[in-house]
Amino acid sequence: MLAILGVCMVGAKLAIADDSIEQRVLPIVQLMNGYCMDCHNASDAKAGLDLELVAGKIKQSGALTETKTLEKIVKRLRAREMPPADATRPDENASKAALTALESILDLAAAKDPQPGRTDSIRRLNRTEYHHAIRDLLAMDVDVNAILPADESGHGFDNVTVGDLPPMLLSRYITAAQQISRLAVGSSIRSPEGINVRLPADRTQDSHVEGLPLGTRGGTVFDYQFPATGEYEIQLRLTRDRDERLEGLTGTHDIDVLIDRKPLHRFTVSAKKGKAAASEEDYEAEEASVEANLKNRFQMTAGPHKVGVTFPQKTASLSEIKRQPFDVSFNRHRHPRRQPAIYEVSIVGPLNSPGSITNTTEGKSVGEDTPSRRQIFVSRPTKPNERECAELILRRLVRLAYRRPATDSDLVVPMRFFEQEYSAGGFEAGVESALSSILVNPYFLFRSENQPSNLSKGSVYQISEVELASRLSFFLWSSIPDAELLSLAENHQLRKPEILRQQVLRMLGDVRAGSLVTNFAAQWLYLRNLETFRPDMRLYPDFDDNLRMALRKETELLFQHVLREDCSVLELIDTDTTFLNERLAKHYGIPGVIGSQFRPVKLTDPNAHRGGLLRHGSILAVTSYATRTSPTVRGNWILANILGTPPPPPPPNVPSLKDKSETKRLTIRERMAEHRANPACATCHNLMDPVGFSLENLDAVGRWRTLDDGNLVDASGGLPDGTPIKNFVAIEESIIKHPELFVGTLTEKLMTFALGRGIESYDGPAVRQVVRRASEQNYRFSSLITNIVSSVPFQMRVVE
Amino acid sequence: MSFMRKALSRRTLLRGSGVAFSLPLLDAMVPANTAIAATVANPAKLRRVGYVYIPMGYSPKPWIPEGESLDKLPFTLEPLEKVKSKVTVVSGMELKNAYPGSHATSNAAFLSAALAKRTESSDYCLGTTVDQIAAQHIGQGTQLPSLELAMDLMNNAGQCDNGYACVYQNNLSWSSPTTPQPAEAHPRLVFENLFGEGGSPEMRRAALQRRGSLLDSVTEEMRRFQLQLGPSDRNKVEDYFNSVREVERRIQLAEASVAENPLPDLDRPVGVPAAYADHARLMFDLQLLAFQGDITRVVSFQLARETSTRTYPEAGVPDPHHPVSHHGHNPEKLLKLSKINRFHVSLFAEFLEKMAATREGDGTLLDHSLYLYGSGMGDSHTHDHTDLPILVAGGAAGNMRGGRHLKYDKHTPLSNLHLTILNKVGVQLERFSDSSGRADELFAPLSM
Repeated sequence: MLAILGVCMVGAKLAIADDSIEQRVLPIVQLMNGYCMDCHNASDAKAGLDLELVAGKIKQSGALTETKTLEKIVKRLRAREMPPADATRPDENASKAALTALESILDLAAAKDPQPGRTDSIRRLNRTEYHHAIRDLLAMDVDVNAILPADESGHGFDNVTVGDLPPMLLSRYITAAQQISRLAVGSSIRSPEGINVRLPADRTQDSHVEGLPLGTRGGTVFDYQFPATGEYEIQLRLTRDRDERLEGLTGTHDIDVLIDRKPLHRFTVSAKKGKAAASEEDYEAEEASVEANLKNRFQMTAGPHKVGVTFPQKTASLSEIKRQPFDVSFNRHRHPRRQPAIYEVSIVGPLNSPGSITNTTEGKSVGEDTPSRRQIFVSRPTKPNERECAELILRRLVRLAYRRPATDSDLVVPMRFFEQEYSAGGFEAGVESALSSILVNPYFLFRSENQPSNLSKGSVYQISEVELASRLSFFLWSSIPDAELLSLAENHQLRKPEILRQQVLRMLGDVRAGSLVTNFAAQWLYLRNLETFRPDMRLYPDFDDNLRMALRKETELLFQHVLREDCSVLELIDTDTTFLNERLAKHYGIPGVIGSQFRPVKLTDPNAHRGGLLRHGSILAVTSYATRTSPTVRGNWILANILGTPPPPPPPNVPSLKDKSETKRLTIRERMAEHRANPACATCHNLMDPVGFSLENLDAVGRWRTLDDGNLVDASGGLPDGTPIKNFVAIEESIIKHPELFVGTLTEKLMTFALGRGIESYDGPAVRQVVRRASEQNYRFSSLITNIVSSVPFQMRVVE
Repeated sequence: MSFMRKALSRRTLLRGSGVAFSLPLLDAMVPANTAIAATVANPAKLRRVGYVYIPMGYSPKPWIPEGESLDKLPFTLEPLEKVKSKVTVVSGMELKNAYPGSHATSNAAFLSAALAKRTESSDYCLGTTVDQIAAQHIGQGTQLPSLELAMDLMNNAGQCDNGYACVYQNNLSWSSPTTPQPAEAHPRLVFENLFGEGGSPEMRRAALQRRGSLLDSVTEEMRRFQLQLGPSDRNKVEDYFNSVREVERRIQLAEASVAENPLPDLDRPVGVPAAYADHARLMFDLQLLAFQGDITRVVSFQLARETSTRTYPEAGVPDPHHPVSHHGHNPEKLLKLSKINRFHVSLFAEFLEKMAATREGDGTLLDHSLYLYGSGMGDSHTHDHTDLPILVAGGAAGNMRGGRHLKYDKHTPLSNLHLTILNKVGVQLERFSDSSGRADELFAPLSM
């Protein structure tokens, strides 16, 4: 053994040509020799790892050929998963010394020969990026989800597998370009348009909705871009139960329609005196008439407006019902609505529009004043130079949309579209048509990174500064670069370290960085899955859409807090403050939080059981089944997303746990123990399940519990290194004690998102460097970001 | 004034109910000396299929014809009088996979003949439905492979029926065992899906041409874009060009259909008619227009949802449907149930009359279509899934011989009929779900 490892040292020496190498690898030698070779040798290579072979290869070609294996070893050692708990284990110091030695060899090699990896050359904007790009290009918030399909996700993010362009998508892009350019310019509104905003059926509408005036209950508020000034019909529909009866309609209720928070109209609905008195026929006719009255026409100005529809709160009094009062009411049989609720708001118009907007005459704008038009018409033409003016406008749009300097060839197609409409419809119609051609242009729809043509395959180069600007903006804003960023790139200033740093900090401080919360964090932490989370209504009767939204918001606000205040990312795990509104506080059993708005709440009670991510109902819910918690799913989630050591996927044909057919009443713990009795399952489940068990005090919707199905909850579990623990608090403590595991995982997730590709073993040195440098700044959020931005994979690319 | 007159139908649909749209172009194309019958009966011209669902079974007695012909229509089916030569009543069909009897499985099994996995969570699982199988075969050349329609604007939330997720009760069409195809009940959304913004044929053609020229610009700029790329990425862009060509083809199809199937001016409906019957008629009219424009060839339509307690005062039944359907053999309730059945049939009959009055080539829209109408429940009182109420309507192209009552043995799988219809519209399939044979009798030429 010693001989082999001696050779290994020589090999490493050759590769790195460092005289002190023998000294440096000594801890590795000792560790492998003493604790690894029993299982991972040539004749019994557990998990396919033959350390004798590894050593042999190193002998021939130096350490660099084995980086993949060595990076894996680093991961297992870091997580203290190896050597396993039931084997003889090295002491902490020996293990640490070996790890440090191994990492420094790998890092040194990477420094000499950087491996930046290769992000695909052509990547389509995904739906979120498209949405944000339109928002920033045209100052317009369009409901892109209604036009474009959702993107598939790979490596946990939906900006990775974006090289495709199926016909359906291309067709939708054309529709989107037409609709958006028409809405933005507003010169060719031909016929009434409309939207239908529907509220989820399981939304309770008994209390105040954030964004609507106090003293109201239920309803909704949304932004709508009115395409032109004119008359619009607004129609409301109320919720009906499964018997098609209007829900909760007793007495008289007012419904207010608000535009930009100002009252526009008040509808009144009322039931007839008594249901019993009315015949069924009357009832039907009456219900129809209630809805027929809920519509009216209003004069609206073009542009974005906030449309609110809500019920003025009637005198509040506690309702008396026989059963436990629920926080939810939306379902006839379990917890019926006791007051009417909005099901749908539809807006149609303009109904009397002149057809198109008067065109510009002699340089004066007579069109409507909307943010998008201000953004587009940066210049107003005088009659003889309308073409020049159009070119000016389009050149600016092309530069922003294509995210690079506009060339003359770029203007050929847009100008042709301008000319075609210009002669028939005038200046603005021409600009609108040209804009639609920009929005279907491959230079807009695809991000491309081009390698210099004079480089040989496998060589490494710095991406251009213009490409760097896009990498930055799509990473931090999920959108296109703004003019400032583009100008710096075009003038070759962006790569200057101080300027780059300033730009990153500026971008993080910008409101657009909210996409790191709603787009990055929502995917990293599976918040998007909440949308489809439907717990069993018999077991969790207190779950509704309001709670679903609140759960998501809590986690988003914690992440946003860390981002905005530039806190240590460890606060995501360990904090004494969380973000609650009344609904969520009630769910958690935390008193004293009144009202619909979220606020930071300092958790003074040691039994509050809230704070870090592992205690968030959102995450506990998306890692549960509809009927129960899942220690396996939870354990797996923590290993993959917090600790960065995901177990391999399950082998095929694994039977799942029997559920209801079970005749004997077994606890979940007993049933899973049966499962782990199978050695094929045990390898991974022994890692996942103990981690998940530690969270058993938190039920499938994230509430604290001490009893499960009548039995006392046993939350004992284990860390991935096998250390037995009392409950999940020990996991949090362990994360804080060894922060590099969690910070490394977060870094990998951020880099996956930033690069649009999976993180490979050759990225190990870059990830470690980010973590190391961030540790010097107490793992502040911005330190992670700035170090990722300056890292090799972010700045460079390998030639194919 | 009803909604229809105000919106969509003023200029289009009502004309269709009495007077046939004339299609001079296609008429002119039929060779003068061809025997019309021979042309019409060409199976290749059978090109569309539709499915209509009614919930909660039926009252059998006033539905099932006495003999084997439809010379004297029973009470419930009387509204079919004018089109009965194009309709066959099929009795004896069963949905074995809908057991144990429930509302959720009635709806779910109707077009899938599959067993719904009993779950209230998102791990639901059923089977691909016949309309979606048809869409994969005959729907790919049209703008929309299939169209899914319903009458209920709201989706149920929470518990629907005895441990079944609501998806089973809400969705008739499933494109895979785990992918329900949500149906649309809002006429405006359906319209936009079919016709964009509508308008006159010129406006619609102009809109398509604008799409076409945008697509041309994509081609042109894609070439420029391709030039800057390395060899492997250039190949990827070749794939994009394939997509461009496919979209081009679809735009041409749509343009051709505007030219060849001259629909009248189309006004976008803006709201939902307040009365059920008006809403249902509008949804049927949209199907007719979609067929006429050859925008889609496959439709499924849920006329009402299982467990609905909608009342039908216009049909003389002010009582809610669901309780009525649990009749306990009470004659009064059975009469009410048959009135609801009859009312639904009358809406379908109106639609068939319009289809039969709308000329297409050498025949009518109905000649080139097959429609299956029925419920996944037989006796609603006991949630029974045998002896289902089933009608098949269609015209000459499929050789469907109407005016008959086909009596099958009591436990004949409905999937036999499904299989036969799929085969008839050109889907090569040997078995479907629990099928045990075919229902070829439906099409067998009558011995003269």
